[in-house]
Amino acid sequence: MCFIMYLIFILFCLKDWVAVASNPSPYFAAFGWLVSCCSMGWWGFWLGHGGPFLSLVLFLIYLGGMLVVFAYSAALAAEPYPEAWGSWPVVVHMVVYMVGVVLAFVVFGGVWYESSWVSVDELGEFSVFRGDAGGVALMYSSGGWMLIISGWVLLLTLFVVLELTRGLSRGALRAV
Amino acid sequence: MNPYVLITLLFGLGLGTTITFTSSHWLLAWMGLEINTLAIIPLMTQHHHPRAVEATTKYFLTQATAAAMLLFASTTNAWLTGQWEIQQMTHPFPTTMIILALALKVGLAPMHSWLPEVLQGLSLTTGLILSTWQKLAPFALLLQIQPADPFILITLGLTSTLVGGWGGLNQTQLRKILAYSSIAHLGWMMLILQFSPTITLLTLITYLLMTTSTFLVFKLNKATNIATLAISWTKTPALTSLTPLILLSLGGLPPLTGFMPKWLILQELTKQDLSTLATLTALTALLSLFFYLRLSYAMALTLSPNNATGTTPWRLSSTQSNLPLALSTTTSILLLPLAPAAMALFTP
Repeated sequence: MCFIMYLIFILFCLKDWVAVASNPSPYFAAFGWLVSCCSMGWWGFWLGHGGPFLSLVLFLIYLGGMLVVFAYSAALAAEPYPEAWGSWPVVVHMVVYMVGVVLAFVVFGGVWYESSWVSVDELGEFSVFRGDAGGVALMYSSGGWMLIISGWVLLLTLFVVLELTRGLSRGALRAV
Repeated sequence: MNPYVLITLLFGLGLGTTITFTSSHWLLAWMGLEINTLAIIPLMTQHHHPRAVEATTKYFLTQATAAAMLLFASTTNAWLTGQWEIQQMTHPFPTTMIILALALKVGLAPMHSWLPEVLQGLSLTTGLILSTWQKLAPFALLLQIQPADPFILITLGLTSTLVGGWGGLNQTQLRKILAYSSIAHLGWMMLILQFSPTITLLTLITYLLMTTSTFLVFKLNKATNIATLAISWTKTPALTSLTPLILLSLGGLPPLTGFMPKWLILQELTKQDLSTLATLTALTALLSLFFYLRLSYAMALTLSPNNATGTTPWRLSSTQSNLPLALSTTTSILLLPLAPAAMALFTP
């Protein structure tokens, strides 16, 4: 099972990371990143190791952020003749990166052999709660203050972003 | 900026530092540092100007890199040792990485080059916040780490004192000189950190007082380069005669406050059988002393000719509040006789 999950992880994630890194047009790079986020969050780490709830949370949050990035890069970087993964320079990059990734995995990957985290469901018979649901409960009970501070910081970040991106005379390149 | 937003941001600055001060868990400490960075960014672009935006961008990128490195190091620490306690750093790898991340955060050489650039783009008030309040949280973390190998802290410290002295030599811009002065002083603090955290704390506090009064003097004179300092005698004659004392206190000359930390550090280094290191550090302080002396010379030891109307701005009363300047100047000149009391105060 572990081996299969690693295989899926490598096939999906690394392919998509290479798809981002191989210098296509920003539009397609953002699209590749979107797909890689899906495969990473959904397939790669948590679901394969028995943590479907955390996987779902990671997936939703990451997907939301990446959709915004995708929308902005699609709006800002639309080109008449975009370079997709079919054009030659991009293909050359992709092949070189894929070979690099495989070589790196062969050289350094030995240490990772059959090492994975304890699956969350494996503890089911010894524990009242599932691992991930128990973690969420802990976050709301003993980590309550930390959660409140995190919420406050999100609000603060909103004000920070609003202050930095006020329109009209507040552009970054023009002295007023 | 809307006053409510300003208050919220200042509260965020306070909250971040407080969280880092009170945390014993690496994740909360990291959160505090991030809150600090986030809250100061709109304050840095408050006086809207391309230089300020550039400085803010540089600051944000540097601090985000340092914070990411800190988070990576603390998760690695949790992975290797199974706990998140700040004071239980036993594994050398995450410890070294955390020291380097915090060094990047406060601007220690060789990770210093962002600091002069950033400080030069900011107004003097924001620069004051940046070089005083923003140093507190990283130093609270640094004080709690005891690395197994003395090499890294000594390298950081000696490089910083050298680069801080050397880099400031050819500058004419006051904010860059203050940035290099900050690098040199932080280098002294890092040198003594593993031998006596008490002296580090004492050095930090005295440095904060001295640099506060220097920033406030420059702010009162509206001076950002050496040439502007030359006419400060027409604006505030009494302060002009006191400012060389503040500057030489930063340089560490004997009857002034700034001599206290350098004296104690050199004494402690000699006690630890590191007299070569102590000599080298004392020699690098001479480099810093040179540019403090040059500032003093341009400001108070020479009198540039001026026309009759240009010599009387001191008759106009200033609208700026002088109380913080008076307090910090007094303490940054006269505190040396209280050295034993100060040491006792900072001994845990």
